[in-house]
Amino acid sequence: MPSWQDFQPFIVTGLALGGVYALSGVGMVVLYRATGVLNLATGAIGAMGALIAWALINDHGWPQGVAYLVCVLFGGVVTLAYGMAFGPPLAGRDPLVKAVATLGLALILLGLMSLIWSDKARSMILPTTTEAFAIGTVHVTWTQVIGIALGIAVTAGAAAFLRYTKLGTGMRALADDREITASLGVPVRRVEAAAWLGTGILSGASGLLLSNLVGLDAATLTFLVISSVAAALIARLSSLFGTLLAAIFIGLVNALATPILSISQYRDMAPFVIAVIALLFMSRKGNLATARGAR
Amino acid sequence: MSTATSTPDATPRLRRSAPGLQTREIRSLIFVAILLIVALAVLPQILSVYWVTICTAVAYYSVVAGGLGLLMGRVGLVSLGQIAVLAVGAWIACKLSFSTSLPFPIVLLVTGLITMVLGTIIGLPALRLSGLYLALITLMLAGAITVALRTMQFPNGGPGFLGNDPNQSDPVRRPAIALTDVAYFRYTVVICLILFAIALWHVRGRAGHAWAAIRQSEPAAIAAGVNITLYKLWAFALASFMTGVAGGLLAGDVQRLYAITFTTQQSIILLAVVLMGGIYSLWGGIIAGIFYSLVPALLNNWGVAADWLTILFGVGVLQVLLTAPGGLSQQFPRDMKNLYGLITGKKRKERQAMQAPPGGEAGAPRAAVSDGPDQSGVVE
Amino acid sequence: MSVVIDGLTVRFGGVTPLDGVTVTFEPGTNGIIGPNGAGKTTFFNVLSGFVNPASGSVHAFGDDLLGMAHYRRARWGLRRTFQTEQAIEELSAAQNVAMVLENTPGSGSAGSRREAALDALEFVGVDVNPDEPVGTMGARERRLIEVARAVVGTPRVVMLDEPAAGLPDEETEHLGRVIQRIPDETGALVILVEHDMTLVSACCAVTSVLDFGKLIATGPTDEVLRNEHVIKAYLGAEDAELEGVIGNE
Repeated sequence: MPSWQDFQPFIVTGLALGGVYALSGVGMVVLYRATGVLNLATGAIGAMGALIAWALINDHGWPQGVAYLVCVLFGGVVTLAYGMAFGPPLAGRDPLVKAVATLGLALILLGLMSLIWSDKARSMILPTTTEAFAIGTVHVTWTQVIGIALGIAVTAGAAAFLRYTKLGTGMRALADDREITASLGVPVRRVEAAAWLGTGILSGASGLLLSNLVGLDAATLTFLVISSVAAALIARLSSLFGTLLAAIFIGLVNALATPILSISQYRDMAPFVIAVIALLFMSRKGNLATARGAR
Repeated sequence: MSTATSTPDATPRLRRSAPGLQTREIRSLIFVAILLIVALAVLPQILSVYWVTICTAVAYYSVVAGGLGLLMGRVGLVSLGQIAVLAVGAWIACKLSFSTSLPFPIVLLVTGLITMVLGTIIGLPALRLSGLYLALITLMLAGAITVALRTMQFPNGGPGFLGNDPNQSDPVRRPAIALTDVAYFRYTVVICLILFAIALWHVRGRAGHAWAAIRQSEPAAIAAGVNITLYKLWAFALASFMTGVAGGLLAGDVQRLYAITFTTQQSIILLAVVLMGGIYSLWGGIIAGIFYSLVPALLNNWGVAADWLTILFGVGVLQVLLTAPGGLSQQFPRDMKNLYGLITGKKRKERQAMQAPPGGEAGAPRAAVSDGPDQSGVVE
Repeated sequence: MSVVIDGLTVRFGGVTPLDGVTVTFEPGTNGIIGPNGAGKTTFFNVLSGFVNPASGSVHAFGDDLLGMAHYRRARWGLRRTFQTEQAIEELSAAQNVAMVLENTPGSGSAGSRREAALDALEFVGVDVNPDEPVGTMGARERRLIEVARAVVGTPRVVMLDEPAAGLPDEETEHLGRVIQRIPDETGALVILVEHDMTLVSACCAVTSVLDFGKLIATGPTDEVLRNEHVIKAYLGAEDAELEGVIGNE
């Protein structure tokens, strides 16, 4: 069994990853509550944004800061475009249908990424990854700090946003009952657009951070979304802080298994196994409805 | 106004004899027969061995797609990880192949049965979840299996339970009567035909009736005595069995297996082609199999990147979901089917019902505003 | 051989759709009437097993109905039709009706099930090709097919939920004649929820009245229809037919 010393660096890794999972997880929960859509293309969108940034920096010599901004904005724009195009026609359908539709988007993006960039190994190093400091014997990069800090900040920020702003209240109203909300004069389209855009920006940001924490590979980044989904599911697709806690838990378990040689190779199973156990456990207490309001 | 005695209407006499085969069905049977002859006799003559092996893949992927289509179209359950199930079947078949000397058909059967049991064990607790959660559980499981396989790889004659030795690469055995690729192709086609026949037998029989009822209205199904959980599990079991056997056929086909064949992306692509092929008919499974195995090979042959196909599949998913007729929306269980958890929706109807003037006109259609909570399951 | 309801109460959050309903249904045809929102369909849903009561019991022919799993009740002999008809569109009329028998163990071969299904279809007097998908048929046929499904085989309790809703008068009369024959020809106890008072008068010797979840009257139909509490409960309605029936009785 590895020593406490051996675990320490992985606590940092786990926290950072967890924070980033929370970033896209929170976005997913907010979007789901507002529109009933569980956006499974989040990872693909982030991946593509990261690849675009990479291409801008390496093939076209753009300054890093601008490229990263493009990545984040790309996430917002593509998600918003999808939401505006496919949100309304699917609005009355079952959440399962809406989620499967986002898989269609994911496939399109995966195909595009593979077509344009193929599977070559790439890396994109944020300036914050090269800057590091030490806590005791542990090496911590600023990217990791951003990961966990942003995760916590966005969770708190989103919770505050939902509670205290007009737009946020509109989103909560939509989550409860779409028809009544519309009849109350809430600008449904605008609120939904805000939800799509916001969650898209979070996708872009997490894509960027994950490309540094994990690697810049389209397929890997795309399917890392499953970890965020796992966190969101454990939080029953409704609690933001629950998503944060679940995401950090998943990140930690995943990372802390690394130095334990007997299970290390299977550590990436952690998010999935945790999610399945949590879901099956929760289903014992009676049926889980997919939404608080009938959708 | 009540009538003490009433003259009964002249009750119509209905046709008693069971309907024979209808023209539609006869046409299908003839078509199947032709297809069979073409597959078994013609194709091996005109195609090179490479293309024959592609057709072998089309055959067993059609079975996988057919099973998934059955789950989605008949029972409304979406599995986002069916390729992982296929991988499990293939793994079991490899293990049996190397660790036992069971004849190949028995290997296939046992593989199918074990996969079926595993699928049912997962299905039992999972079925209590609504459609979206169930689909996501399959995604999670697929992810877990994919990761595990990357490390475990497939048995290839190596030692221990996992049976994998990276330095070794023994081939999975084939049945004695089907050692060559062409012979194996014919063998596969026959087995797949049997699997489709089993599926069809279910669809036409008691299970199919129950599934049709469940899909349209769970309350009506229950009122007719249908044990919904049992029939949903049965669908799970059938799809798992078919996929397991397909996994065995795959193992015998490629004979050396690698985890990279069974990624999560492949599960999503399978879902896409099943949707595009059509989930209401077993023919859809064959179309899906062609999309999944044949078309990429053709594109490869013509020098077109397979990525275009991935994009096409993504578009296909969106198109099917958007333009599907109302019937397709019955494929995914709607929240209304969750009989016990619709309180918020019902409360709204109750409020509406309470506020409506009592009585109303006799004979007026009673739509949403009904007598208290409407659990007939048809509103909305 | 009766159905005994004792203190049946259902609560959903802050609403009480059924409140301490106590009534006994005797063999024959029993009516249940009441204004919208009175709890009639909730009542059926409790018996069907779709809703769990907060308290109370239901004993049918001496058996504890609430103790049975919902899908087993059909096998026991509890049948129902729904307010919005629920004939399964993909299946043929014969298959729709036979489905009940398919899910009842010991109901014989496929051939005998088909025979029984066709018998039931003839009983309700629907003139269709029994092997065509029901989705191609009109509302009247589908409703009758649903009724056939409720009476096929050996039903013990048949619950009909507003079977005349949306039907024109001559169909309602035909339906009435069918309903009247059910107890005699199948031996089943019939419970009929209806808004159509003519149908209730024609078919039901005994009627109970629900209002806001409570039982406010029960007894011979013509007495109940004249009961001032009952009339008050319906007050404010543009229910000309109701007034007409009450006025003419």
